[in-house]
Amino acid sequence: MTRRAVSRRTFLRGTLAGSAVALALPRLECMLDVNGTAYADGSELPTRFGVWFFGNGVRHEHWIPSEVGPSWQPKEQLAPLVDAGLKPHFSVISGLSVKTPFYVHHSGMTAITSGAPMKVVGKVRDTIVTTVSQPTIDMVAAQKLAGKTPFRSLELGVCKFRGTDEGTTFQYLSMNGPNNPNPPEYVPERLFERLFGLMPEDPRFAQITKARASVLDAVRGQIGALSQRVSAHDKQRLDQHFESVRAIERRLSTQGTNACAAPVRPSTPPDDDAKEPIAEKNALMSDLLAVALACDLTRVFTYCFDACGSATYFWQTNASDGMHQMCHKGRNDLVHRAVVFMMKQCARTLSTLRDTPEAGGSVLDNCAILVTSEHAEGDSHTQDDFPILLAGRGGGRLRTGLHVRSTTRENTSKALLTALRGAGVALPAFGHEEGRVTEGIAALEVS
Amino acid sequence: MAWLTGALASCIGTIEPAPGTSRRSDAPSELGPQTNARDDLAEAEQPVFPAPPTLHRLGVDELQNTLSDLLGPLTLRAELEPDTALKGFSSIGATELTIANTTAEKLEATALEAAQQVFADEKRRKALLGCAPGAIDDPCVQAFIARFGRRAFRRPLADDERAQMSTLAVDLARSLGDVNEALSYLTAAFLQSPHFVFRVEIGAPDPAVPGRLRYTGYEMASRLSYALWRSMPDDELLAAADEGALATREGVDLAAERMIASPRFRPSLRRFFSENLSLDRLSTLSKEPSVYPQLTPTLKKAMRAELERRFDDLVFTEDGDYRDLLDGRTTFVDAELAKLYGIAGVRGTALTRVELPADGLRAGILGSAALLAIQATATDTSPTRRGKFIRGQILCQEVSPPPAGTNFALSPVDANKTMRERLTVHRTSPSCAGCHARLDPLGLAFENFDGIGAFRATDRGMPIDASGTLDGEPFTGPVALLALLRAHPASARCVVRQLYRFASGHQETDDEERLFDGLTRAFAASGYRLPALMRALVTSDGFRFAASAMSGGTMR
Repeated sequence: MTRRAVSRRTFLRGTLAGSAVALALPRLECMLDVNGTAYADGSELPTRFGVWFFGNGVRHEHWIPSEVGPSWQPKEQLAPLVDAGLKPHFSVISGLSVKTPFYVHHSGMTAITSGAPMKVVGKVRDTIVTTVSQPTIDMVAAQKLAGKTPFRSLELGVCKFRGTDEGTTFQYLSMNGPNNPNPPEYVPERLFERLFGLMPEDPRFAQITKARASVLDAVRGQIGALSQRVSAHDKQRLDQHFESVRAIERRLSTQGTNACAAPVRPSTPPDDDAKEPIAEKNALMSDLLAVALACDLTRVFTYCFDACGSATYFWQTNASDGMHQMCHKGRNDLVHRAVVFMMKQCARTLSTLRDTPEAGGSVLDNCAILVTSEHAEGDSHTQDDFPILLAGRGGGRLRTGLHVRSTTRENTSKALLTALRGAGVALPAFGHEEGRVTEGIAALEVS
Repeated sequence: MAWLTGALASCIGTIEPAPGTSRRSDAPSELGPQTNARDDLAEAEQPVFPAPPTLHRLGVDELQNTLSDLLGPLTLRAELEPDTALKGFSSIGATELTIANTTAEKLEATALEAAQQVFADEKRRKALLGCAPGAIDDPCVQAFIARFGRRAFRRPLADDERAQMSTLAVDLARSLGDVNEALSYLTAAFLQSPHFVFRVEIGAPDPAVPGRLRYTGYEMASRLSYALWRSMPDDELLAAADEGALATREGVDLAAERMIASPRFRPSLRRFFSENLSLDRLSTLSKEPSVYPQLTPTLKKAMRAELERRFDDLVFTEDGDYRDLLDGRTTFVDAELAKLYGIAGVRGTALTRVELPADGLRAGILGSAALLAIQATATDTSPTRRGKFIRGQILCQEVSPPPAGTNFALSPVDANKTMRERLTVHRTSPSCAGCHARLDPLGLAFENFDGIGAFRATDRGMPIDASGTLDGEPFTGPVALLALLRAHPASARCVVRQLYRFASGHQETDDEERLFDGLTRAFAASGYRLPALMRALVTSDGFRFAASAMSGGTMR
C-alpha cells in the first residue's frame, strides 16, 4: 500500500496540548515498513526544516547554562522548555558570534537568517533601510526539501506588531532574496483556509481546478512577456511574480492527492487592543503547524513568533513598554521576564510537535528547528554569544539534549549549517562573505 | 555612562545633495522640433532627469477602489496582502517589493470571488458584458474583451493580448461547459494580470530631451489617477490619453485641476497625512492599563479620528493654510477625548468641533493625544521620541542613530526625579549631547502632556519647565515652539519632500531634489494649500518624465 492511496478520511483522534482534536494523520503504522523507519513503499520519512524566531535577544546570565554537555541545567529563560519535558529534544548552542559588519538589529537579523551581510537599500529618518543580500536559510532548505509537498514552505506569524519601515529586515523572516519576502500569515483562521480551504470533496473540484489552471497559465504568459520590456530591477520582481503564480499552479496539480482531512477550524479570541491574546494565537498557530507537518503539506516553515526589533507589548509579564523600547532602558527584569514568556510560547510549539505522533516517534523527531533572535542581548544590542537552540533530531541526524559552547566565538553560520544538515540538506558550506563557513558543529551532527 | 563610543560629530544630517553629485544631462545643444520643448524646460535651466520608470504594485485600497470602479460594489470575503511601508510610505514599498506566493494566492482568491459575485447577478452580468452571449464565439465576447480589457489594463489591449484572452475564453468554456462561467473566470484572469495588479510604466523617448523618457498618455493617466484618486482612470481621463492630451504640461494640469476638484481626491491626501504621521501605530499601541486606565480602544479610535477630521476640515472644508495644522486650535473631539483634554460639555461618540483654549498649552497636531501617545512609552512620556519626531517628520532632518557598540544601559535613575532631570545626562555628557541636545529639548517642551496626551501641571510633584531652544531660537513652552516650527524654513520644504515621496513612490534622486525649490515656492505662493502643492507636483517634470533605466538612476 502506498501512502497516496490512504483515504483522506484517515485520521486519528489525537491530543494536542491536552485537548482532544480530530487530527489528520496519514502516516499510520500500517503504512510503514516493519522497522517503522520508512514507508512500506520504500520512500523515506520526511524531514523538515524550520525557524522559530523571536525579536530582541535574551539575557546571557539567564540564558546560557553553566554546564556543557548532556547534564546542563536550565536557567530561568530556558526553564520553560525544560519544564515542558523538552530537554531531550533540543540542544543549546552558545558562544557563537555574528561576523558580518555590525549595525544594530539589521546585521544580526540578516546574518542569523541568511548567513550573509545585510544589503543597505536606503536611509530613512534616523536609520538605514536594509534587506537581505541572499535568500534566507529556509529558502535554501526549500530548494532541497520542497517539491513533493503542496506548499514549498509555510510562513506563520504570531505577535501582531509588524516591523517598522526600516526595511524587510524588520518586517519579514523568510526572504527569497533582496526585497523579496514571503509574508507570514498572522491569522489562524486564514492559515486554516489556506491549508484546507478547497477540499477535493467539492463535486466540481476537477473542473474548477482546470479552469483556475488555465487562468493562471495565461497570467504567467503575460508576466513572462512583460518582463522582457522592463528594467532589470522590475524584471527580478516579475520573475518572482511568475514563480508565485506557478506555485499556485503546482499546488493545484497536487490537490486531491492530499491524504489529510481538515482539522477543527480554529477560532482566534478577540483582541481588545490592550491585551493582545498572544498565547492563544500561538497555541492555534502551533496546532496548525503540527497538522501541516504531520500531513506533509510542507517540509519547510518559518515561525515568526515576534519580529526583529519588535515593539510587542508583553502585558502578560507587566511590561512597561514595547519590547524593543524596554531594551533601550538598560538592564532590567522586565526584558528578562518577557523572554521567559516567549520561551513558554516556544515550548508550546515544540511540545505540540513532540506530542504529534509519527512513525513510532513524533513529528518533532523528524524536524530540525532553529530557535533564535536577531540580537544576542536586547539591552546591549550586541551580536556576540548568540542565543541559538536546535530542536528536533532531524530524523536521527542530530544529537539533542546537549549544551555545546564555543570558547572561541565561532561563526553563527556554523549553527545554520548544522541545522540544514540536520534536515537532510547536506551542504558542504553555508553563508557568504564573513558569514561563510565550511564546518558545522560536529558535536551535534550524527555522521 | 550611556555611550561607549565617542561624540557624534555630525548628528543632524542635511538631506541636501552633496556638491557635484547632481546628475545633469549633457545639455543638448539642439532640441527637437517639438513645440512643447520650451515648456518642458521652463522649470529649470538644465532638464531634470527623474528616477527611471518602474512597476507600482497596487496597494490594498487601490485594488479595492479599482475593483469597485470596474465591477461595481463588492463584498468580498477574500483578503488582500497588507501593504508594506518602506522608507516612510507604502507607495515606496509598492515599487520595491513584488508579488510573493501568498500575495498571488490572495489576488487569485479576490479575483475569482469578485468576478463570481458580479456574474451571479444577472443584471450586473449583462451590464458588464453588454450582451448575453449564447456561445463563446459570439462577437459580443470579443467586444467585451476589448472594452473590459481597456478599463482593466487602463489602456487599449494589443492585438496579441486580445487574441490570447479569446483563446483563454474558449479553453475555459470547454473546461467549464458554461459560457457565463467561462467569462467569469476570464474576468478573473484580467484581475490577476500583471497589467492590472501593477501600474506598468515604461515610458517613451522624450521628444524634447535626448536620453530622457516621457510617460505615455496612458501611463500618465494612471499616474494621475492613482496619485490623486487611488483608483483607475475614469472615462474622461482615458479619453484624454486617447487624444494625446496628457503629453503636455497644460494637458496634465487641466486633468489634475478637474481631479483635484473632485471629492475622490480626498482619500489620497488623507492617506498621505496618516502614513506620514504613522497613525497606524495607534492600532498596535499598547499602554500599561494601571498607569493609563482611561485609554480604552474607543479612545484610541477617537484620537485617530480627531486628527483625520482636523486634516479634512482644514484642507478640504476650510481650504486653509496647511501650516495651521502645526499650531491651530480648532479640533474635533468626542466625549471621551474631550474628557482627556479637559473640555466640558461634549457628549456622545460623534466628533464635535471645539476651539482649544487660546491661552492653553495644547495646540496643533503635535499637541494631539494621538501623536503624544505614539511618541511615548507604555508607562511614561518620551521627550527623546517626541523630539526625534519633530526633527524627522516636521523638519525632515535626519538624526544619526546611536553608533555601533552603544551601551544603552543608563545609570539607575531616581524615581522621584522629573523627566527633565532624568535626561540631564543626555544633554550634558559630551558623547550623548551631540544628538540629544537637539532632540530632547524639543520633546521636553511637551512635558505638560503625559504618555497618552492628558494635561498635567506637574511631573512627579515638581513644576514643569517646558522651555528650550530650537536651532538657537529660544522658546518658553510648546506654543512658542510651534510658532518657531511654523516659521522654520525647513518645515514647508519638508512637506514638499514627503508629498513627493508619497506621490512618486520613491525617495527623491539628487536630480529630483532640484525640483523642490520650485515646488516649495509654489506651495508658498498658494498660501500653503496642500491641494495646490499636489497640483504643482503632478505637473512638474519630476512626475511627467523619467531617466532611462539604462542611464542609471541614483535612486535606491
